[in-house]
Amino acid sequence: QAFPLPSLPRKQPTVLVVCGPAQNGAIGLVCARHLRIFDYEPTIFYPKRSPDPLYRDLTTQCEKMDIPFLSYLPTEVQLINDAYNAVVDAVLGAEGEMGEGREPCAAILATLKHIRIPIVSLDVPSGWDVEAGSSGGISPDVLVSLSAPKQCARRFLGRQHFVAGRFLPYDVQKKFELNPPEYPGTECVVALRAPR
Amino acid sequence: PSRAMQGPSSGLRFLGQEEAQAIDQELFTEYKFSVDQLMELAGLSCATAIAKAYPPSSFTTSQPAVLVVCGPGNNGGDGLVCARHLKMFGYEPTIYYPKRPNKPLFEGLSTQCQKMDIPFLPEFPTEAAFIDELYGLVVDAIFGFSFKGEVREPFGSILSTLERVTVPIASIDIPSGWDVEKGKADGLQPDMLISLTAPKKAALHFAGRYHFLGGRFVPAALQKKYSLNLPAYPETDCVLQLT
Repeated sequence: QAFPLPSLPRKQPTVLVVCGPAQNGAIGLVCARHLRIFDYEPTIFYPKRSPDPLYRDLTTQCEKMDIPFLSYLPTEVQLINDAYNAVVDAVLGAEGEMGEGREPCAAILATLKHIRIPIVSLDVPSGWDVEAGSSGGISPDVLVSLSAPKQCARRFLGRQHFVAGRFLPYDVQKKFELNPPEYPGTECVVALRAPR
Repeated sequence: PSRAMQGPSSGLRFLGQEEAQAIDQELFTEYKFSVDQLMELAGLSCATAIAKAYPPSSFTTSQPAVLVVCGPGNNGGDGLVCARHLKMFGYEPTIYYPKRPNKPLFEGLSTQCQKMDIPFLPEFPTEAAFIDELYGLVVDAIFGFSFKGEVREPFGSILSTLERVTVPIASIDIPSGWDVEKGKADGLQPDMLISLTAPKKAALHFAGRYHFLGGRFVPAALQKKYSLNLPAYPETDCVLQLT
């Protein structure tokens, strides 16, 4: 929705999906597969693979859909800017604090901080504190909050903030006082209005 | 690069039973999809197709009440997923699920429905007229593409009742009781058919108003291998209206 195919600046609808070692990364793998189905050309960078059988199967599904896996992430950011229309940041989620200091996440985040093409972060901009946000961290263009927005989303300054939480049962919504917005039609995401 | 290869005329292929089973097997063994994954996407497709053809505002019953009849296998599982998404789309589904497999997948799906306050009927309405009065739509999730041979009880009686119902019936993948390839002239006449992955030959005998394609998960290589010639889905939609 944020980057429809006809709107992409590059001739090929390329998207780089950077996947971290835990659940946020696995969600990135699923995202990449659906991007492929939607006729984008995703490429995955997944340096630290989980041994979890579910995540291994998600990896196989991507491989068998002919989605290429990079063996290294270029440190020369211009190479990334030139090759892709956007980057999906699926490196770290709400468990961020534990992961961000360790390799290879630290190096990845250092590179992502300098790219000029749009970043779409899944749930939490990687490296941000889940509650306090981040100064000097990555600045995503689009944030997709999973289930419900985290506190750090208040500091999100990008163009579009989506919530993907339509699957939450009503009593969970009520119990945690989520007050979710209405989802249009049968859509599984809803764009939140930018705060003024 | 265009993903959909168009053959002569529409080119869309209608699968035989063995082919459908082979494709299914390949998705699990070669592509390593889990049953959970594909069932969730299939059920979501069904709910989405229903929402497009029968929006809640179109119901003449006081609530958009839907009866979901779930069979003993994977088609029933698709029905459970469909019911849950219908609830989230603003419908009031009720489930009848007389024969439940003793497997964690189906137990989990049932629990998810129960915890979303979707009622499970203790018995099937005895008269078609009761169904017509209480519900604006029936979802037939009894038998799918593996169906062969005799219809065992209680499904024989259930299908007899459904054949006399006048509210629309939406069948998941195969109208239940139909031969997967030849159809069944005196069987169920659903108003909607949601073909999953690709239509089966039985769909050639479908005479209802709405035929949707769902299950937008088939990798391009698999589509090519079986010459499915699937038309392109619109944008990011998980269903495609064929008729």
